[in-house]
Amino acid sequence: MNRESPLLPHTEAREAALFFVIGALCFLAALAALTTRGTYAAAAAWGDQIEGEFTVVLQDTDRRTATGIADDIAQMTGIDGARLLSEAELDELLAPSFGPGGLPDGLPLPLLIAVQAAPDAPDPEPAITTILDQAEVEGEVSGHGGFARQVQRALAVLRLIGIGAVSLLAATAIAVIAFATHAALLARKDIVDVLHLSGAEDRFIARLFARRFWVLALQAGSGGALAALMTTALIVFSASSSGAVESQLLPRLSLDIVDFAILVVTPVIAGLAARGAARITVLQALKGTM
Amino acid sequence: MSRFRLSLNDEPALRLDQLHVGYGGSDPIIRDATLRLDQGDFSFLTGQSGAGKSTLLKTLYLALPPLQGEICLFGQSTWQMSRKDLASMRRRIGVVFQEFRLLDHLTAFENVALPLRVEGRKLDSYAHEVEDLLRWVGLGDRIDTPPPRLSGGEQQRVAIARALINKPDLLIADEPTGSVDPEMGRKIFRLFMELNKRFNTTVLIATHDIGLISEFDKPVLRIQDGRLSPVRGEVQA
Repeated sequence: MNRESPLLPHTEAREAALFFVIGALCFLAALAALTTRGTYAAAAAWGDQIEGEFTVVLQDTDRRTATGIADDIAQMTGIDGARLLSEAELDELLAPSFGPGGLPDGLPLPLLIAVQAAPDAPDPEPAITTILDQAEVEGEVSGHGGFARQVQRALAVLRLIGIGAVSLLAATAIAVIAFATHAALLARKDIVDVLHLSGAEDRFIARLFARRFWVLALQAGSGGALAALMTTALIVFSASSSGAVESQLLPRLSLDIVDFAILVVTPVIAGLAARGAARITVLQALKGTM
Repeated sequence: MSRFRLSLNDEPALRLDQLHVGYGGSDPIIRDATLRLDQGDFSFLTGQSGAGKSTLLKTLYLALPPLQGEICLFGQSTWQMSRKDLASMRRRIGVVFQEFRLLDHLTAFENVALPLRVEGRKLDSYAHEVEDLLRWVGLGDRIDTPPPRLSGGEQQRVAIARALINKPDLLIADEPTGSVDPEMGRKIFRLFMELNKRFNTTVLIATHDIGLISEFDKPVLRIQDGRLSPVRGEVQA
């Protein structure tokens, strides 16, 4: 028969409650972190795309000349692509303004060249203006800079809110774990007292409880992180099945190495919080004794 | 029959000097307690319920800091001890608590072995000692039984065995016969006397059982009106 049972009892009902609390908080924290990261990635991609798009508006010219200009622009350094929009595309663009009846016949319309610049490419407007001058075509470059700046500002606020929410949730989780650990440990003050009066040093008792709550929080946190992983995997699977993952407006849940790092770190942080709280609680309880 | 002596020549096991005992923030329960117990002394502490016996004992087994005055254990003042020294000193004191304070999730064997485990000793080095002691207190057949499945008297004897396992230099017992019948009470007292003779352990037992005290020819101290005073034996308190 084993005659060296652990000095602390096996998991009790009150510790089961603590286990649930830590697991649930880790689930929420990990899921929030993953979602925020996905939102951050989606926002960055969205911003990059808007930043690199602009339109060249051509007045009083024919489609053949416009096509030549589009080809010249497409060959410029730092330009990923340029193409002349078809009449059908123009109709589609203007449909919200003119309704289902379509455009009035004989309405003079400009020709549009959609240009996609490479990220971090130099401002192409002077070179495009030169091309237009050489072709003797009147036109203007309509960048999305102003709109992009507004979008970037909105994205920055979104990122801050995301980081703030995750930080707040993480801080709350740590505080709740610490408080719940403190409460669970106070319920076992009888053991602290017996060990103390049996001649155990403060460090010995603190280490005993710190190890116990570290393991408990690590297990509970791992459970929570695993649940977050499964939930994220389910979202990724559902989104890719429905095609929603293609939308730039939706969070990009990917489950890459950084996501897995988040899932690993979450229970470790929970464990450290519980361990620290247990240690402090024991030492404070003993401080009141001789 | 002098069991309490006031001597400056040799270090006493326990010396109290003008000790005020109580809980912080309230008036002392006991004032100016002065006492000397030499190694091998055996004495009783009595007094009415609420007189302060348990509070005094708590202070003596280093669970409650004194409000004022000095406690010297084996020549060392507790004021000069670090927390590590206090822990080390607690290992020289065996305590039998009134409410036993056994850990329910451990067996009788493991409860008795607790002071040895916290000292860092390995099972192989103490298993025989613990078994022998449990047999000595009459629990040879209950070694692997947890406290909730033991009777009050059996739990009391486990608590006593735990107090004795590391052969303490000072044994303090708080109402050790409080939950047993008179016959078991006598047995427990005889066990303490045997320990006192066999290992020269200093023994201080708090009890309000005057009948039992009268059966043993040992010095008696009494707490009355917040004062500690001798009532039997050549006592200098």
